[in-house]
This record gives sequence, C-alpha cells and structure tokens, in this order.
Amino acid sequence: MTTENNNLEREEAVVVALKATFPDLTARVKRIRRVEASVSKALTPSVLVHAKNVLGYKALSHISCVDWIEDEHFELVYILWNPDEKIQLLIKTLISRENATMENIDTIWRQANTYQREMREMFGIEFPGFVGAKEFLLEDWDDMPPMRRDFDTKEFVKEAFFLRPGREDAKDVRDTIAKRSKEEIPEFAKKYSREK
Amino acid sequence: MDTNDKGVRKIVDMITGFARSNSLFMLAYGTGCGDIEIPPAMTSRYDWERFGYRKMATPRQADVLLISGYLATKTLKRVIRSYEQMQEPKYVVAFGSCTINGGMYWDSYNTIKMLDHYIPVDVYINGCMPRPEAVMSGLFDLQEQIKKGEANGAQKYRENLEWYRGNQKKVIKNWVMPEYNW
Amino acid sequence: MMKREKATTLYLGPQHPGITGNMMVKLKVEGDTIVNSTTHVGYLHRGFEKLMERRNWLQSFTIVCRICVPEPDPNEENYARAVEEIEGREVPERAQWIRTLVLELARIGTYLLWFAGQSGSAGLYTMGQWSIGDRDYVLDLFEELTGGRVYHMYIWPGGVRRDLPEGFEAKVLQTMDYLEKRLIQYDKLMFDNTIFQKRAMGVGWIDPEKAIEWGVVGAPLRAAGIASDVRKDDPYEVYDQLDFEMGHATTSDVWGRAQVRRFELEQSINLVRQIIEKMPKGEYYNRIPNPMKWVVPAGDAYVKTESARGEFGYYVVSDGTNKPRRVHIKGPAYVHAMTLLEDMLKGANVSDVSFIMNSLGTCPPEIER
Repeated sequence: MTTENNNLEREEAVVVALKATFPDLTARVKRIRRVEASVSKALTPSVLVHAKNVLGYKALSHISCVDWIEDEHFELVYILWNPDEKIQLLIKTLISRENATMENIDTIWRQANTYQREMREMFGIEFPGFVGAKEFLLEDWDDMPPMRRDFDTKEFVKEAFFLRPGREDAKDVRDTIAKRSKEEIPEFAKKYSREK
Repeated sequence: MDTNDKGVRKIVDMITGFARSNSLFMLAYGTGCGDIEIPPAMTSRYDWERFGYRKMATPRQADVLLISGYLATKTLKRVIRSYEQMQEPKYVVAFGSCTINGGMYWDSYNTIKMLDHYIPVDVYINGCMPRPEAVMSGLFDLQEQIKKGEANGAQKYRENLEWYRGNQKKVIKNWVMPEYNW
Repeated sequence: MMKREKATTLYLGPQHPGITGNMMVKLKVEGDTIVNSTTHVGYLHRGFEKLMERRNWLQSFTIVCRICVPEPDPNEENYARAVEEIEGREVPERAQWIRTLVLELARIGTYLLWFAGQSGSAGLYTMGQWSIGDRDYVLDLFEELTGGRVYHMYIWPGGVRRDLPEGFEAKVLQTMDYLEKRLIQYDKLMFDNTIFQKRAMGVGWIDPEKAIEWGVVGAPLRAAGIASDVRKDDPYEVYDQLDFEMGHATTSDVWGRAQVRRFELEQSINLVRQIIEKMPKGEYYNRIPNPMKWVVPAGDAYVKTESARGEFGYYVVSDGTNKPRRVHIKGPAYVHAMTLLEDMLKGANVSDVSFIMNSLGTCPPEIER
C-alpha cells in the first residue's frame, strides 16, 4: 500500500531478542511493523512485563478475545506498541473454555481494567484479584455471556421482544405504489411485476 | 358567557391549539444515532427556532420527547422515567426506522424493536438518517395534529396503562420506578 | 452524635444538555469540588460484534459505519484495509487517493463539530451556530459524492464504490477557500477571546511522563508535547507521499488541545488541496468476483487509523468461511472516557466537567458499540 522498501531488519531483531529470553516462545514477522508471538498461559504476564520494561513496548493498544468453540479454547491477544521503534507486537495465548481464568494485569497497565471488565461480562472469563464493578454494558443480565458462540441471538430476540410483521400488500412494491396512485406500470418494470 | 356552548368551546379550542402548537419545547435527550442531525436542524442553516421549537433541559418543563433512533433496554428505563415526569399535554415523536421495526438492529439482543408497545407515539419520521428537512416536516405534521386536537398519545397511555406496563416489565427486569402520578 | 457526610452524589445523567452523547458520570461533590467520579456506559449498546457473526463479509460492511456517529469514515476504512490485508487484495492507485480525500473531509467536519461542543460547554453558543452551519457545506459535498449526509458506506474492500462525479474537484476547492476565510472569524470569536482563554488554561492537566503508559492517544497526546500520529508512525493509504505537520503544544491542558486541533484543521485544508492537485487517473475498484459467495481465507490482521479524536483500532479474524469470525473494535474514547476521566476529575470544579469531557473528545457509541 505504501511506497516504503520492505526492509525487515528491526522486526527480525525483535524476534531474536524475545527468543533469547524466553526459549519456549514462538515468534515470527508478519509484515513490516507487525510481529506475532505465541506463548503459554503461565508465561504471559512475565513476557508482558519484559516487553514493557526492557524492550520498550510501553503502550497497550488492545486486548482481544476470540472464541474457538470447535477446539474448546479461548484465544487471548495482547497488542502492544513501541513508540520509538514503531513496531506493533501481538502476543497470543490460549485458555480453556471451562472455568476460564487469566491473571490480572491492571497493575502493569491501568487501562487493562476496562478490557477485563468487558471480557468478564461478554465471555465469562474471570480475572482473580482485580477490582471492577460487576456491570459494564448490560444491565440485569441473567443469561449466558452473550459473545460466546453458543448464544443464539435470533431465538433470544424472538422470545424477548415484539417483532413487527411484514405488510401483506408490500410483497411487490412497484405494484403497490402504482395501484395506490392509480398509475401505469412503466414498460421496463413490467418484467418484475407479479401481475402478468 | 356560557362556556358549555359549542361555539365558545370551538373558539377556546382553536386558541389553545394555536398556542400549544407554536411553542413546543423539546427535551434535550439524545438517545441514539439520530442525535447527530438535530444540531444542523437547530443552527443557522435550517433554523427551527423560527417555528417556535427550542431545547429544554428538564422534563418538567418540556412538551415533546424526541426519540432519536434505537433504544437499548437500559435507556428505555430512563426514557420511561422522563416521559412520566413530563406534564400534560405531552407528545412523542419517533425518529428513524429503528423505532418502527427495529431497523438494522432487528436481531440485536439489547435493543427494542417496536417503540409503540412501550410508550405511545404520535408521529413517526422514517429514514436512516432523516434529513433536517424531513425532521421539520414531521414536526409540522405534529403541529397540524395538535391544532385539530388529534394528538392524544398521553390520553392513550393513561387509559391503557396496564398493557403498557406489562410490555415494559417484560423487558426491564429490575423494576424500581415510582408510580405514575398524573 | 452522628457524623454528617459532607459529600453529595450528583448524577450527570443520560438526560443532560451538557454531555456529549448518552452516558452517565456519577460525581461525589463537596461544595463545588469533585472528590470521586465513576463513568457508566451501556446506554447505546447494540452488540455489533454479535450482529456481524450472522452477516457475511459484504453485509457487515454496511453496518460498520454506525459505530462512530460523528465520523463514520475511519470505521469503513479500517474494515476495508483489514479484509484486504488478510486476503492480499491490491487496491488501485486512484482509489487510495480518493479514500484519503474522503478521510480528510470527514476530519474537517468533525473538527468543526468539536468547536461547537467545546465552546458551547463554556457558554459561547454563537460558535455553534457558525461552525455547524459551515459543516453543512462539507456534508453537501459528501451527499453529492456518496448519496448520504451522515452515513456514507462508500469505502469498501477493493476500492471505493463510485468515481468522482463531474465538476466535483472545483466544488471541493471552492468549499476549502470559503472555510479558510471563516477561520479568521473563528479566531476572533473563540481563540483570541480572553474569556475562553482564561477558562481553558490550567484546566484538565495530563501528566506528560505517564501519558503513553495510560493509553492517551490523539490530540491530547500531542498537546502534552509527544509527537505521535498514526499518519506518520504507521502510514497507510497515501499519507507518506503528502506533506503536512503534526500539531504541537506543551501545556497539556484544554487550551493546548484547542490549539492543536485548530492547527490541524488548517493542515487538513492544505492536505485536501494537495490531494486534488496530485490525484492520478485510473481504476477505482478492484472487483470482487461474486460478492454473495465471497470467502476470505483464514488469518487475522490489526489495523489502525487516525480519526479526528485519536487512534482507532480494528482486530479482524477470519476462519475461511463467508462470515467474519471476530471483529473487535476499539475507539479512542475507550480509554479517555473510562480510566483517564475518572482520574482527571478528582479535584476539578463541577462546572468544568462538561468542558473537560469535550476537550478529550468523548463519544460514547464507540466505547460500547
């Protein structure tokens, strides 16, 4: 998209630095300014602290969660940004779907509090030790966490709300409008009309 | 002067209809997406203040409640509370296609689909978004209805309160609202 | 004897003429000073990410623009760029220039809307009448180009939906000339106004040492003296071929942010002129073979855009079917309105709450989608 040369030296250096400290980590360069790493659940907080203090990834851009229901795990993604080297680092980890828990990181970055509140409400992941009000976006919700893939929205909507039925005379809109104003249906539209 | 005389009633109704329809105060509540087309209608290009509309901060002194767009169930509870605090005569104008049949959020677990079942609506304005000219045309329609004496959503609410309450309690689970006092 | 509590609880609630949108700030006030505050959101939650699981890739593009109400174009741009990155689709040259033009026009419109909000919360209502009236001329341009004033649905994966109409460039340049003349009037009314300056200086201070760590983005970060802008750090579309400067201030308060935004409005007007001058001819759309049966290969992507309020991030995951697996959206107000605002309001005056909220650019629909 842009007219830079694809010189990936700085990104390769990041991969080398990460592997030197954590041999169990797998990392690769995706494209310019994007490096991806996969790590186990127990090691994630120490990788995050190391990336922030030593490698210079001071800014937390995003924490996300993907529900892989077929493989029965959640995938948590922590996205960090280095303002000096200008590289984005994605750290991915897998946690189980039953009794999902993850360590609390809002002592490292304060704004992680909001992301964790949302994940607790939408996916049901617990972060023991973190203080945040129970409700974030939903009020008085007593069903299962809505972003999980086994929550069926269409069934829920049919039971909880009233849906307006479609109009009987609006199945063929051109006919309806023409009849209402007593006009001729034009030639080019006759092939779409139901009245032959 | 006999005030039960039909001629006198007609003149009194005409005067009150004229006065009410030409000075409508709108409650300053931006409930959804549609709130972005209200500042252009208020300011210098389309200027609705020449027709007598203006914004008012408290429900106790407002006449019209403009529901601009979809309503999440959390907002519906607050809208009902604001609506019941308004003094009669009061009118509701529903804005956008989300109030008619749910719009593009028809399969969302958090928005209501038909506004008519929860609070009574006098005028619908459709579109996504309606232009400021469409907004003003809808408000002129409301003015015509007030002059003829046909805008009585508040009366419908009073008479069918149990039906409305049943619908509202189905969606709002934690009901901690005061009784309706009119 | 029972101890009387000095603090009162005030709900700056969802129905309030001074807040920017539909959210609640619960304040504990002693006299006129705020002791504690919490932000409550959720009044606009529609569940976008769950809606997108039931719609295919082309249908999801139609609902993406409703996430941020004042400025919908960075959303469409992010979605399109993420899908193109996962699929490896090339975008033609002219389409990239048209996209940049649309983004800059949207930025100008949002800055004008911000002038109205910021000065209105200080009591200067005339500014709103002028700037929202002028913003309508920019919305007229959008209506001619895309068909809609507010929600455009114009930038989609592969390019843009239609080419520029005849005579469009001349109208854009005419509007830019008019806006530049109006800037002199805005200066006289708002930026050179001693009352506004006295109210804005020293209010709403952010510590520059900790700003990056706390997640501050956009104009508040530039007003703290840190040079950071996604258009220069992580360039996208054709920003690396264009010539512009970032806003800069050192005071890190409401006055600094107002100066940064005023400077960037001028830079945007210059950018629009450069784009019109340098735009090449060519194709505007790289056609998708059959949109109804479009399947995107498995993968994921994280893309960022600089909107008028800060950095907008999208994380898109695809699993090889015709529907998106996960589209996770994060706007700048996710951090500014929650943890940062609660911290900034401690010790502030009650009459400054709306002022500070406007200067951070809080917009609740993007917090709760």
